[in-house]
Amino acid sequence: MLQKPRCRSHPGAQPDSGTSEEVPNGSGRPDAKQDTAGTLSSSSRLAQATPASELRTQKQLELKVAELVQFLLIKDQRKIPIKRTGILKHVIRDYKDIFPDLLKLAAERLHYVFGYKLVELEPKRNAYILINALEPVEEDGEMRGNQGTPTTGLLMIILGLIFMNGHSIPETEVWDFLRRLGVYPTKKHSVFGDPKKLITEDFVRQRYLESRRIPHTDPVDCELQWGPRANLETSKMKVLKFVAKVHNQDPKVWPTRYCEALADEQSRAGPEPSGSAPTS
Amino acid sequence: MGRRPRLQRCAVAISLRYRCWPSESCYLPATNMSKGEGSLPGGKEKGEEMVGSLAWRYLVKQGEEEETLKQEEEEEEEEEGGLDCCSDDLSPETSGMHPDLLELAVDREKCRSIRRQYRQLIYTVQQNREDIVNTASDSLTEALEEANVLFDGVSRTREAALDAQFLVLASDLGKEKAKQLNSDMSFFNHVVFCDLLLVFVGLNWVEDQGEELSDCDDSIALTFWGMVQKEATSWMLRAETFHFVFGSFKAERSARKPRLEHHKRACKMEGNGDMPTKLRKLDMNANQETTEKEVERILGLLQTYFQKYPDTPVSYFEFVVDPNSFSRTVENIFYVSFIIRDGFARIRLDQDRLPILEPTNVNQVDEESDPCSYGRKQGVISLSLQDWKNIVSTFEISEAMIKNSC
Repeated sequence: MLQKPRCRSHPGAQPDSGTSEEVPNGSGRPDAKQDTAGTLSSSSRLAQATPASELRTQKQLELKVAELVQFLLIKDQRKIPIKRTGILKHVIRDYKDIFPDLLKLAAERLHYVFGYKLVELEPKRNAYILINALEPVEEDGEMRGNQGTPTTGLLMIILGLIFMNGHSIPETEVWDFLRRLGVYPTKKHSVFGDPKKLITEDFVRQRYLESRRIPHTDPVDCELQWGPRANLETSKMKVLKFVAKVHNQDPKVWPTRYCEALADEQSRAGPEPSGSAPTS
Repeated sequence: MGRRPRLQRCAVAISLRYRCWPSESCYLPATNMSKGEGSLPGGKEKGEEMVGSLAWRYLVKQGEEEETLKQEEEEEEEEEGGLDCCSDDLSPETSGMHPDLLELAVDREKCRSIRRQYRQLIYTVQQNREDIVNTASDSLTEALEEANVLFDGVSRTREAALDAQFLVLASDLGKEKAKQLNSDMSFFNHVVFCDLLLVFVGLNWVEDQGEELSDCDDSIALTFWGMVQKEATSWMLRAETFHFVFGSFKAERSARKPRLEHHKRACKMEGNGDMPTKLRKLDMNANQETTEKEVERILGLLQTYFQKYPDTPVSYFEFVVDPNSFSRTVENIFYVSFIIRDGFARIRLDQDRLPILEPTNVNQVDEESDPCSYGRKQGVISLSLQDWKNIVSTFEISEAMIKNSC
């Protein structure tokens, strides 16, 4: 399905849609114009592409896309991946045949209006998440992440532990560490409530972490690893830099980790230059 | 041929291979890694020697003698069953084999004790898992050497299976130990990380004063996690949760509540409402008829009385008053008023100025046929509870003249 909405350069953007949208250039992104053109042309393309279903007017399609955008935004509140079956059942219903187009339009709108990317969690798993398309900037340090309980800090610490320990860590070691910070698996925490549930259930359900049983252990122990969502929202290099910042040292102090992070960065950047062949 | 020829052939092959190579070199290469230096070369030497000299020749012979072996196994299997019998059968039959390879007397007791020792070993290793993995002791190597020694006495697949189980456990532990090897120049220390987190947030005084974060106030914990959160969010591309600016309607919940209450109220009404509706229905239907019936009945009573005692007017109060029920009295007054209105009786005051009821003569009715000549006279009788009681006591009315029909 949809991996990343790429900025398409449409040769000769069609100006026939009539609605000349006023583009607020608040973000100052250079590709904003291209996105507008892309949206207009793709929606007109959509209208042209449905000769079979003449009953669907342009207005109905717009309404459907708007519903889909709302649905995705609200479903993402709990940060649990949004299933494709849910989307089809609750929003799309009869418009199943043009589902891919609707999804693409919704993704564009989310990206353009809200700055969120609609990404498929794992290829062919039919679950989607929203991630922030905008890199964090100094000025919005006050605004970002100040809603609800501050779980991102805990998550980042755990991701750091996992990465610095190799690629997995037994749960018991995580608790040994967190004990020193006043977080106990059995005691109620003033900020997090039930930390054990938060880490072993919520984070796993949100796909930030993955939990696997370690064989041959008598009190059953699990080992935690990075989940797919963690790989999408952050990267090894970023986590390493976070750890380095706390230690007030350079990330290169841990050579193996730094090499791994570097390799990860390259693999992320890798496919894009080769994949930028025009795909229309 | 045989019943399960392929299975038996495999069983034979496995048991024979164990005899050929009593060392561990026939197992997966993973074990070589975890075994340590001492035992490995020795084991290999032994194995190679065997491979070179005896076992290979033996295997060649095995191919020739497979037919006879199979037949023997079938017979034996009928008696005993299972794969254990393989080793038993081979000793008498395959006399062409090298005696060094074969266990001459397969002692059941011995096998049992070997199995017991294996299980003991596995149990010990599982119990001391933490020690073995985390410390830098040689306990894993020692356990493996013990297994080595035990394996020399193994001749059957049952014990060999236990040996395999132990090796799986040992290799898991070995893998964990290897993971703990840290080849980094500067080791990542959890305790240091923890302390540095506190320093980073600015709560280093917690450490200095010898306290722990768990003992501190909730507000301090909140500031700590708030600061960590702020730093962490700058490294993550997390989408903010969507909220309406002025909140949203929680339509579902509010729709349910009034429904429930209304439902409850409706239930209550229906629960109590059965009785009144029934009665009302009865009253409504029978209302008109009841009055007429009652009037007729009372008229009949009155006329009977007049026939019994002609020319004797009856005292009004004595007629209508029911000493037992005030409401009945009022009803009787009501019905008698109909009788008077219709002209079947007359009410007038006697010499004591007390009302009496007189029958009207039919002749009189005929003479003055026009009811209007009577002159409309109206009388209003008001009776209170106290008056009624007074009347009852004054007139000494003991029982009602108008008996109840119902």
